[in-house]
Amino acid sequence: MEKRKNLAVICLTSVFLLGFLIWSFLKPDSAVSQSERRKLAQKPDLTAAAVLNGDFMTKFESYTLDQFPLRDGFRRLKAAVLLDVLRKKDNNGIYLADGYAAKLEYPLDEASVCHAAERFQLIYETYLAGTDTKIYEAMIPDKGAFLAPQNGYPSLDYSALSALLQENMPYAEPVDLTPVLSLDSYYRTDLHWRQEALLPVAERLAEAMDIKLSAQYDTVTAGAPFYGVYCGQSALPLDPDPLRYLTNETLRSCTVYDYETGSTGPVYDLDALEGEDPYSVFLSGSKSLLTITNPNVDTERELVIFRDSFASSLAPLLVSAYAKITLVDIRYVQPERLGRWLTFDAQDVLFLYSVPVLNHSETLK
Amino acid sequence: MLFSSVPFLFYFLPIVLISYFLAPRRAKNSVLLLSSLVFYGWGEPRYLPVMLGSILQGYVFGRLIERFRGTKRAKLFLVPSVFLSLGTLAYFKYADFMIANLNALTGLSVPLLRLTLPVGISFYTFQILSYTVDVYRGTVPAQRNLIDLAAYIAMFPQLIAGPIVRYSDIAVQLKTREHSVSEAASGARRFILGLAKKILLANLLGELVSDFRASADLSVLYYWLGAIAFTLQIYYDFSGYSDMAIGLGRIFGFRFPENFRYPYLSGSITEFWRRWHISLGSWFRDYLYIPLGGNRKGSARQLLNILLVWLATGLWHGAAWNFVLWGLLYAVLLTAEKLFLLRGLQKLRVLNHVYVLLFVTLGFVLFDASGVQDAAQSVRAMFGGGGLPLVSAESLYELRSCAVLLLLAAAGATPLPKNLYAALQHGSTGKSILAVLEPVGLTALLAVCTAFLVDGSFNPFLYFRF
Repeated sequence: MEKRKNLAVICLTSVFLLGFLIWSFLKPDSAVSQSERRKLAQKPDLTAAAVLNGDFMTKFESYTLDQFPLRDGFRRLKAAVLLDVLRKKDNNGIYLADGYAAKLEYPLDEASVCHAAERFQLIYETYLAGTDTKIYEAMIPDKGAFLAPQNGYPSLDYSALSALLQENMPYAEPVDLTPVLSLDSYYRTDLHWRQEALLPVAERLAEAMDIKLSAQYDTVTAGAPFYGVYCGQSALPLDPDPLRYLTNETLRSCTVYDYETGSTGPVYDLDALEGEDPYSVFLSGSKSLLTITNPNVDTERELVIFRDSFASSLAPLLVSAYAKITLVDIRYVQPERLGRWLTFDAQDVLFLYSVPVLNHSETLK
Repeated sequence: MLFSSVPFLFYFLPIVLISYFLAPRRAKNSVLLLSSLVFYGWGEPRYLPVMLGSILQGYVFGRLIERFRGTKRAKLFLVPSVFLSLGTLAYFKYADFMIANLNALTGLSVPLLRLTLPVGISFYTFQILSYTVDVYRGTVPAQRNLIDLAAYIAMFPQLIAGPIVRYSDIAVQLKTREHSVSEAASGARRFILGLAKKILLANLLGELVSDFRASADLSVLYYWLGAIAFTLQIYYDFSGYSDMAIGLGRIFGFRFPENFRYPYLSGSITEFWRRWHISLGSWFRDYLYIPLGGNRKGSARQLLNILLVWLATGLWHGAAWNFVLWGLLYAVLLTAEKLFLLRGLQKLRVLNHVYVLLFVTLGFVLFDASGVQDAAQSVRAMFGGGGLPLVSAESLYELRSCAVLLLLAAAGATPLPKNLYAALQHGSTGKSILAVLEPVGLTALLAVCTAFLVDGSFNPFLYFRF
């Protein structure tokens, strides 16, 4: 019996190691990981210089990890062992609670918030000081604000973050969005908020900015299921969210000008619903500079939003009160260069940033 | 190349195993040597010549020492060999430490060399030293075949992090060794268990340590959690590596010495060092402590010898003052035990273990610190001297999140798993169950390790820096 057991150990181990070696050689390389929404490492070039400086080995290791057969299955296995066997409370910083997947956002990085405030100060001093612009700032809590404390996960001090931001942005009127947000305002599998749940947020901003919004929308549910970014990051088999967007005649008549490409398109990029990130349906995803023009409004009033991706789904809900809304994402454009395209005089200006960006503001240029 | 990496497990290892077992008996050492050079060159191509040079000097001086053994000229060849070995180690490992201290003492500003430490240099240097000294002492004959000697020194299973295999341990096996199904299966089993210790325990404990180090929400509890997690991490990291090395050795027909025997069960520090990094402790005993006179020249000299050995042990682990102090801490504890403490400890049943675990944990705080001040601050914080709260939100979260991991790690550091296995093996039913369960369980463990590798990025090997 011992002999058979030893033989079985050798055979199974050999089959496992050799099997994956052969599979790795035979399997065609993938270019991207759909679940992780990223490009995968490709086979590095074998050159003497790359071998001698160790570059080849480093890249080969990344390549073997990224192109490993059954990669997604192995990632799911790891998540299951970690969460179900070892009872860890998060996997890759993503945790599950009350049916929601969320990222641990903790602790408050004051230096990061101050860095963000410094970038906003630069914008204020360069373009806004001395003009008739009305300036507002609103912080968007991540869903952890409504999920973490109740479920025993560490949660950052949102009041302190908000206070720090206000202290460093004395030129802006703060708008507190927390009272009109709840866990239900967010997707279950993604970091973003759900547009169909944002009408109270839009109303709260409208009240603060003294504008009147049209509240009549049709809700359209996208056909394809929406697997948010946390599905891939957590490697857990999460049920998809429905992705809905709000539309009406005003929004259908609006045009969006993309300064990067010089092209004009609609508010909702319906092709994105079938793409890697369906949330890009809202204003086509990551864009440095966009202007939404509303031809059906009796006002010259304009709004400029300095923003991250959360504003993509909110801005359409503010369109009814403005002739133009310009969205600036300083993660993709240097603030110093904005003068080439924008002139500030009497617009409303809103600094609308989510906590994940404020707390990791190294991405702000 | 790390054992716990996809390139090693799924490219290097299968190819080497096939080549090795297909090669005729006389070519097996050449296959081992060649694969070891690829293994070493994969991570450190520019330091291959350093290792090859060290091997060559060991070979040449070994032959010369043997030729003139018993005459004064043998010593004339031993001394340069020892100087070359220690000189190379000193140059790469201690030059900057010495320059920095010289600068601090004299006010000079001699520029630092900023050399990268060649991986495994502390291990292979000690193997070469033991070889030439043993040849000088006449306990082993010099190896006439350069390939065999090089295969021994550079053998990839133990090249980077030991155990420190002495030439005398495997001299016979280098020439004649048996390969069998039972040895290969035993090796595979040991390798997979070592891999699991490294990937599933050490790496996850390491993440906890890393979170602690990066935390801005420190507390007394978090300091203890960090210290305990590091104490367990270093055990699983190093003993896991040793298990993998011993397992691979068995597959290739070698019997490497054991390196760990449940060190955290020790009832005294003396016992701890008989169970922790055994191959290093015995190396220092045989090649430093005993040549210095050991306990043969009176108590005062013995205490001085202990002090010197532990200074060397501390410095072997790293060129920094915290490592020196770590060595000194053990010198003091071992001296105290030798003088009066050991007898008292032997009468205790629980407190002696508390004493060992406390000092070993504090020792590892010193060991893991970025410097002496950092270590002092950590120890102060652990005992409430840092003005920190007792607990913080983050420390409580980590404690809850890692509770099962910590319990598993603590239980795994005892003979409990081994005893459970032995109990299962009792009786024919248990044996029948194990005959199926063990191969399947090991493969499942390998699959889980692969899953953690594929998804994980946290994979340091602590003993690589030595």
